[in-house]
Amino acid sequence: EISLLLTSQYIMVKVKALSRSAASTERQNSGDLRMQHRNLDPDHHPMARAREYTRAVTAAKIDRMFAKPLLGSLGTGHRDGVTATAVSRAALVPFVSGAADGEIRIWDLASRKCVAELAGGHSRAINGLVFDNGGQHFYSCSDDGLVRRWSILPSDTNDESSTTNNNSNSKGKTTPHGPMETWRIAGTFKSIDHNRSSDYFATASDSAVEVWSPERSAPVQTHQDLWGSDDTVGVVRYNPAERSLLAMCSADRGVGLFDTRLASPLRKTVLSMKSNCLEWNPMEPMNFVAGNEDYNAYGFDMRKLDKPLMIYKGHIGAVLTVSWSPTGREFVTGSYDRTVRIFPSRRGTSREMYHAKRMQRVFTVDYSADNRYIISGSDDTNLRLWKAQASAQIGQVTAREERAVRYRQALVKKYKHMPEVRKIHGARKTPRLVKKQTALAQVSKESARRKHDNRVKHSKPGSIVAKGAREKTVVKEID
Amino acid sequence: WLLATVGRAGYLKYHDTSTGEPVSTHRTRMGPCSVMRQNPTNAIIHLGHTNGTVTLWSPANSDYLVKMLCHRGSPINCLALDRSGKYMVTGGADSTVRIWDLRMYKETHSYYTRGGPPTDLDISQKGIIGIGHGGNATFWGPEALKVKVTSPYMGHKMPGCGPVETLRFRPFEDVCGIGHQKGFSSIVIPGSGEPNLDTQEYNTNPFQDTKQRREAEVRSLLDKLKPEMIALDPDTIGGIEESNKFARLERSRDIEDEANARRDAEGQIKKKEKKKMRGRSKIQKKLKRKQKNIVDE
Repeated sequence: EISLLLTSQYIMVKVKALSRSAASTERQNSGDLRMQHRNLDPDHHPMARAREYTRAVTAAKIDRMFAKPLLGSLGTGHRDGVTATAVSRAALVPFVSGAADGEIRIWDLASRKCVAELAGGHSRAINGLVFDNGGQHFYSCSDDGLVRRWSILPSDTNDESSTTNNNSNSKGKTTPHGPMETWRIAGTFKSIDHNRSSDYFATASDSAVEVWSPERSAPVQTHQDLWGSDDTVGVVRYNPAERSLLAMCSADRGVGLFDTRLASPLRKTVLSMKSNCLEWNPMEPMNFVAGNEDYNAYGFDMRKLDKPLMIYKGHIGAVLTVSWSPTGREFVTGSYDRTVRIFPSRRGTSREMYHAKRMQRVFTVDYSADNRYIISGSDDTNLRLWKAQASAQIGQVTAREERAVRYRQALVKKYKHMPEVRKIHGARKTPRLVKKQTALAQVSKESARRKHDNRVKHSKPGSIVAKGAREKTVVKEID
Repeated sequence: WLLATVGRAGYLKYHDTSTGEPVSTHRTRMGPCSVMRQNPTNAIIHLGHTNGTVTLWSPANSDYLVKMLCHRGSPINCLALDRSGKYMVTGGADSTVRIWDLRMYKETHSYYTRGGPPTDLDISQKGIIGIGHGGNATFWGPEALKVKVTSPYMGHKMPGCGPVETLRFRPFEDVCGIGHQKGFSSIVIPGSGEPNLDTQEYNTNPFQDTKQRREAEVRSLLDKLKPEMIALDPDTIGGIEESNKFARLERSRDIEDEANARRDAEGQIKKKEKKKMRGRSKIQKKLKRKQKNIVDE
């Protein structure tokens, strides 16, 4: 500030006026930051809303421009359709997949290369793969009635260890990765899962549900005719928090809970169609999602099985596989309709749909443990690596870039109700069949709605009670 | 990036200077216009006409949005808008300077300029009104917009410099530039400039270097608004409208019917009977048609 002296005939007035100097605002050297000033007075920011809205539209467009989710395939895949996969519980990099011809492959996710091909361990399709809690070993189960334990790391002395077990298959080839142990039953194994805290693992076979210990060659527990039905149990899953709680899906369209400590079945809920897969929410362990044959996935609270928490609609084919994100906020489903969908857990519609021209029926999906990637295994013998956030940048992102990305996401979120933004944000290239079937489903839904409204309109008020979709899901509940 | 121009033909034209394309042309139908200002808050163009009216224009509408009669019987000499977009100051050839509230479109108060009609007006960032009249420039303090003030803040006499051609305040500085017959004067008006600037806004940093200027240019291009977004209320964008289109139409139709009914009741519409000479026109038929127009209560 400089002072001016205004002289008049009688008085001398000292007046201050603005004076800016370049020296005060210029930076001293090129490495220095530039001075930023802020004035929050709205008069300084004319038409702020309009400009923000324009930026939101641009942000939605940029988001779509950068949305290239497919990263590539893992190596050259298998020789037959991929039927089972497992992500390690203790590390990010090891990944294991099993094919319909009984071959197991160990992958290095970071380099997408195959570490080992374990052929000859199983003669029929691999139905289940699961890592143990240490992450050093994994189990495989197959239609040939065998459960085999393998090691992730190769070891030189392996020929001797395979013969210690009574049930070992001495004729099978041994590799540096195993098989270290083998367990056999007369029937076929459909599913396998490992206890989250102890060494036990549970399997579902065509006749019973078994709980095994790796030290014993016979199952520790065998349970048949659960809830009075001898139907095959297709899926068993251990609860991540409650150690002895098992959830299972059976061929009689039921989803049930089992306690291995009491060795007794708990509740069971029967839906209208069979459930193909079941996964517990890792962050909300009382909730699980079951993927059903009727193209929906149902979210249930284990304490209240009479009504699903949420119905996840979107697929136009049976939901074959489900996998939760480690955050518990969303899950990914793979379906018979050749697509992979990502659903947020609190919303019934998918936020993203991935498809590829060459990808056939998706049999397995996995969410990577760092919440960044999705691995889908499908009938076309390939394992595809996708980004969980389609427009995210892979690798190290500078702070400035991250801030810009966050700002754009916030803009889109703020204006997502506006028609222009909504159209751009929701635009996806969908396969022709998916588009057609979804439109048809919408037409039949609207027609059903209209007919129901007409029936209500032309009947005695109160005689027709509308039943919600969630109430109609469960057919029966068995204690 | 939108350039508004108006000339002696009275056509208001908008051009997009980033692409060079003309956006729209509007016929003001009020003769030559030489007084034009932009409202900083909503980008509406204010035109001052020779019949004393001020019209408000947007590129999206082919007709004016608002027409205000500001000076009865004398042309508008000059026009200025304050930064908050609430007040408009007009100077007419009748030597009055009137202050208008732009929300109610009503005059709040007026001042009389001695020494000649006001030839140019400007409002500084801090709200100081500068009026050039005759060979003087008078400056009224920021409270002069809201209430009638008895005396001005400052005066500047330029004897012999004739009528003031242009008077403009310099943004972010306490300086006012006056262009007159004998040249240009730059005078210090303490308290007229805004001391705290915001570097986020494009081209408001007087000390920006090349890189900042370039980046600001790119950002302003990315944020370029569509001409349709310019409206009287800038907050309508991103707002929520009634979801049911038919309910909205019905409501507007109801308002229309109501207004029409009121007009009919006042007897302003006289249904003139058409003289139909085609075909057979019997006297009886004519009488019948006349009967139809009578409304029996």
